[in-house]
Parts: sequence; C-alpha cells; structure tokens
Amino acid sequence: MSHPPPRAHDGQRATRPRAVRWRSLRGRATVLITGLVLVLSAVTTVAVWTAVSQYLLVHRQRSAVAQASANAAQVERGLRTRGLPAPDLLAQLPRESGSTSLLLQRGEWTTTSLTVGADDLPTGLRRAVVDGSASSQRVEVDGGVALVVGVPLAGIDDAYFEVFGLGDLDRTFRALSTGMLAGAALLPCAALLLGRWLARPALRPLEEVSTAAAAIAAGDLGARIEPHGDPLLVPLATSFNGTARALERRVLADARFAADVAHELRTPLTTITAALAIVQARREHLPEDAREGLDLLGHELDRFHRLVLDLLEISRSSGDGTLAAVEGVLLPDLVERSLPEAARHLLVVEPEARRVRVCADKRRLRQVVVNLVENAEQHGGGATRVTVSCTAEHGLVAVDDAGPGVPVGDRERVFERFARGRSGDRASTGGAGLGLSLVVRHLEAMDARVAVTDSPDGGARFVVSLPREDA
Amino acid sequence: MSRSVLLVEDDPLVRRVVRMTLAAEGYEVTEAETGEAALERLGEGGVDAVLLDLMLPGADGFETCRRIRRTSDVPVIVVTARADSHDVVAGLEAGADDYVTKPFVPKELTARLRAALRRSPAEDPSPRVEAGDLVVVPRDGLVLLHGEPVDLTRTELRLLCELAAVPGRATTREELLERVWGYGYFGDSRLVDVHVRRLRTKVEDDPAHPRHVVTVRGIGYRLQP
Repeated sequence: MSHPPPRAHDGQRATRPRAVRWRSLRGRATVLITGLVLVLSAVTTVAVWTAVSQYLLVHRQRSAVAQASANAAQVERGLRTRGLPAPDLLAQLPRESGSTSLLLQRGEWTTTSLTVGADDLPTGLRRAVVDGSASSQRVEVDGGVALVVGVPLAGIDDAYFEVFGLGDLDRTFRALSTGMLAGAALLPCAALLLGRWLARPALRPLEEVSTAAAAIAAGDLGARIEPHGDPLLVPLATSFNGTARALERRVLADARFAADVAHELRTPLTTITAALAIVQARREHLPEDAREGLDLLGHELDRFHRLVLDLLEISRSSGDGTLAAVEGVLLPDLVERSLPEAARHLLVVEPEARRVRVCADKRRLRQVVVNLVENAEQHGGGATRVTVSCTAEHGLVAVDDAGPGVPVGDRERVFERFARGRSGDRASTGGAGLGLSLVVRHLEAMDARVAVTDSPDGGARFVVSLPREDA
Repeated sequence: MSRSVLLVEDDPLVRRVVRMTLAAEGYEVTEAETGEAALERLGEGGVDAVLLDLMLPGADGFETCRRIRRTSDVPVIVVTARADSHDVVAGLEAGADDYVTKPFVPKELTARLRAALRRSPAEDPSPRVEAGDLVVVPRDGLVLLHGEPVDLTRTELRLLCELAAVPGRATTREELLERVWGYGYFGDSRLVDVHVRRLRTKVEDDPAHPRHVVTVRGIGYRLQP
C-alpha cells in the first residue's frame, strides 16, 4: 500500500478545520438566536405578568373600595333613618360571597362572620379609619389573603369595615402563573427550533459553498454554486465559480498535456520496441558486454512501455470516447486467469461464489487484479490471499497483503494519481504510482468500486465490488 | 511460400522497423504512405494482408478500409490508438478483421497477422449445412441465400462455418474468439459482436430481426437450422 507521509499541505486534510469551523459557526448562530429569543420572551413574560397582576389587583381593590363605600352609605342611612339594630342592618347589605362586614358603633363591634372579628383588623388601619379617613389594607385572615376596607361613618368613632377574601384573585394568579411557567418551560425548546430554522437561511450560502467545495474535492470539477437570485450569494458564487473554473481549466490542461505527451510517445516507442526486438533476435551474435547492455535496455524499455500504457489509460479514462466492453463473466474464472502464475495459489473462492457472474470488461478487470496484486507486492510485503466472494447484489474480489495496513486517514489518498508509499520506495519498486488510480478508473468505467479496509491477518485489504449480472 | 503484406503507415521510421520485423518472419512487405496509395497498390494484386494505421493523412484509415472492402476480401488489420475507444468498433465496422493497438510489440503484430492469414475454412469442413433459405457449404467456402451466392470476407465465412459446424447449438464468444481469431480468454468480445453484425447484413433478410444467426443471451451465438 502507499503510505504517504503526513504533510501539512495535504488537500484532504486542509478542508477538515474549515468543516469544523463551519459547523461551530452554525452552532454559534443557533445559540445566539436561541439566546436572543429566550431573553426577549423572558422580558415579555415578566412584563405581562407584572402588568396583568397589577391590573387585576388594582381593579379588584377599586371594586372592593366601591362596594365597601356603597355599603357604608347604606349602613349610615339605615342607622339614621330606620334605627335598625346593627346585625339586621348588616345582614341586609348586598355582599359578595366570602366577604365580611364589621360595624363599629359607639365602641361596639358587630360582625357578620363567626370567624372574622375586630381582632383581625390591623390596629393602624382601625385607627386611621376611626380618625376619619377611609383606608384599605391587605391582611392575612384565616390563612388566606384578604383586603380590608374601612370607611368612617357620621357618628363619632363609628366606622364600617368590610373584609374581602382575595382567594379568587389568588386562584386567578396561580392559574396565570402556571400557564406562564409552562410557556416559559416550553420556550427554550421552541426558541432552539426557531434558532435552527432562522440560522438555516442565514447560513445557506455557506452550505452551498460547502457542498460545491466538497464536490470539487471529490473530483467533480464541474461543480458550481447556483445563487438562485439570492443577493447574499451572488458575489460569493461569482468568485467561487471563477476559482472553480480556473481550477477545472488547469486540471484539464494538465490532463491534456499528459495525454498529448503519451500519444506523442506511442510512435517512437513502437519503433524503439520493434528495433530492439530485431537486435534481441540476434543476441547470440553480440559480444558479452553488448549483451548486458541490451538486456538492460530491454528491461528499462519494458518499464517505459508500461508507464506509457498506464499514462494512456489514465488520459483516455479522463477524456472522452471511453468505452467499457462490459459483458457477463464468471468472476472466479476471470480472477484466476488474471492472476500472475506465481500468485494463482493465493486464490480462495467462497463456495457460494463459485458460479457468480458479474458485469465486467475482461481487459479492464484483469488489469485491476494485476495492479492490486502488484501493489501488494510493492507496498504491502506481498499478497497473502485473493478471495472471491459475493453478496446479493455484488461479486467481490479481495486482495490481502502482509504489510502494515493503510491508516484510515490515507484510505482515500492511496487511490490518487502518483500517490506512493514511503519516499525511497521508488527506486526499489519502480512503480510510477499510477497503479491504484488506474484501478479506480477501470472500475468507474464498469460501474464498480474499490475500497481499502483491514485484512483479518493484519495487513491491508483492497476490496473490489462489481455488479452481479443476475442482480 | 512468402506472403505479401501491404503496410499502410505515414511514419517512415515505423514503416521501416515494421518492414524489418515482418521480413524477419518471412513476409514480403510493400509500403504505402497514404490510403490512396494503398488502394492503388492493392489494385495491382498479390497482396495477402493489409496492415492499416487508422490515423492517416488524407483519406483516413476508416475510409480506406471501407474502400478496400468494396473490391476485396483481403484480411485487414487496423492499428488503433486506443483499445477501448470507438475507434476499434468503428474500424471493425468499416470492415477490418482484427486490430492491434499502438504502441504494439512485434510479437503481437506477427501473431495477429499469422492468425488472419491462417483464417481459411475449417480443417474438417462439413459438406453442406442448410438453415432455412440459407445454405452453407464450408468445403467450397460457399454461402447461398435464396439460392444466390453471398459475398463474405474470410473472417465472416470462418465465423459462419464455426456456427454451421454445430447447427442449433450455441457457441460461446470465447470459443469463437479462439477458433476464428486465435485469441485466448482475454480476447475482445467486440470482435465477435461486430463481425456477427456485419455477417447478418449479408445473410439475413432483416438484420434487425435475424432468423439464421441468432443471439443466445449471456452465452454467444447459434445458427438456427
């Protein structure tokens, strides 16, 4: 396997901090909006509570005072004109339920209640009323809150008091506060949802950019941002798309250059190869040192030939006019025939996969198998097993090796062009680093995939999955 | 007996080295730089096979191939840049019998040439096979449709004879590739498919609905008796 040295400017890694920052930006926006909504609603709740409770209380007090004054006037009239005894007089008064009337007449108290007497009235209030000013005060009576209203009467030291239970108002307050507390409890959830909802359109430009950037990183150089007439997005889209276009042009130019070079090399390579073959046919007639030179030449030309073929393959796969001659093939059969003679004994065919047929281009799949085995030889300490198995939809070919495996972070990168193992491998292996990227190209043309995982024996496992013919 | 190969290639160095390679294998080589020159040379006769580069100045290789086919059933091997491009199929549809891709190694080239020249009727030909109104007489290399002789190239004839050897039974593409073209397991199945397509235009009344050379899905082809 290729184990690229960790590098700070590695493209894959550079995108990661940006992704994290974006995520926290969205989080921050959500928290900010949520917090704002929370504070606003808390202020509103408190204000509403204060206003409503004040209003209710004042209203209640006013109506109590009004009623007490009316009753006091009636008592006064009754005392003056009819001379009725105090208890009868009080009994005639129109009173709301739960209120108690008390009459102080010539130093004597009369009350309509068995439980509420003169002792329940605060001394200060009593004195103030007797002294001639109408007053009201909230007090505790019988464990409940009550409002005492006192009205001085015409007679000296005579006064009328009325005690109003505030239990009903208390209940109203309690219901109101329960409702508002429940609302306040639900509010954080609602605010959070609202925050997320509000944060989304605000961050949509970033999401668009992030999606497009991810697409470009994944190899789709044609990805662009569509501003959809969003004025926030237009300048961003313009500059992003400009950058993406420039990048695409450059990558295409690079690819075309490689393709052109490879194509130009074809003709001289044909000539050189054929000429060398002619000389090789007369090897026996050459002196010893010339033979050695010829062998060296043959060896290097072979490598060169393969490199040009790989380059052609790469450039044709990324260019147009690519065709995969896909047909139904018996997978175990194809894999066995593809394996180099020396690697045939590594083949293990799972029993259920013996008859599995897949849709594949034989020439391409052979190169995939050969490249994976070669990759294992060059970077993974040699192939240890080649397994053919299947799932309901796919035929699988797994190549295990004896190397140290591929770290999770490098599992995408090993398939990139010219990705290579530890520096220094080059001289010993002679691989140009195109093998695995070619594997990807070939498989893409056949609608198949490759992935790296861990081999159960400790090394790396490259798994190719091909669509089943019968699936 | 020395076989004559017409080499159509515009690069003088490639021409030279291919001539040397083929000469070493005992072929007699004549050269042509353009398609027009090739057709002229072919008209003089005595050519047993044509090696044709598809990238030619003037009339390109496809056009040259089509023109060769109008007058001759000589085996044509085209040299293409890419094994998996439309070039291969287009070259085969223009009438080529086989192809090699550039850069080729000499061994490939001579192997293809040998196979093309060997492509004569099967060693043990069956006397006469009838499939409806189609009659195949492998021994004489004769094919009759509605009693009229049909003009087939050697490869098409060989393909039909292979199917006629087992009438009613399917022959796989791999078997056809091996027997007709001398390819192994990794031979290009498109060779079979394109040749069958071309064969059908000659031996079927309606090539879109073949009644004689029928496809056996997932396997290969069969001659319907």
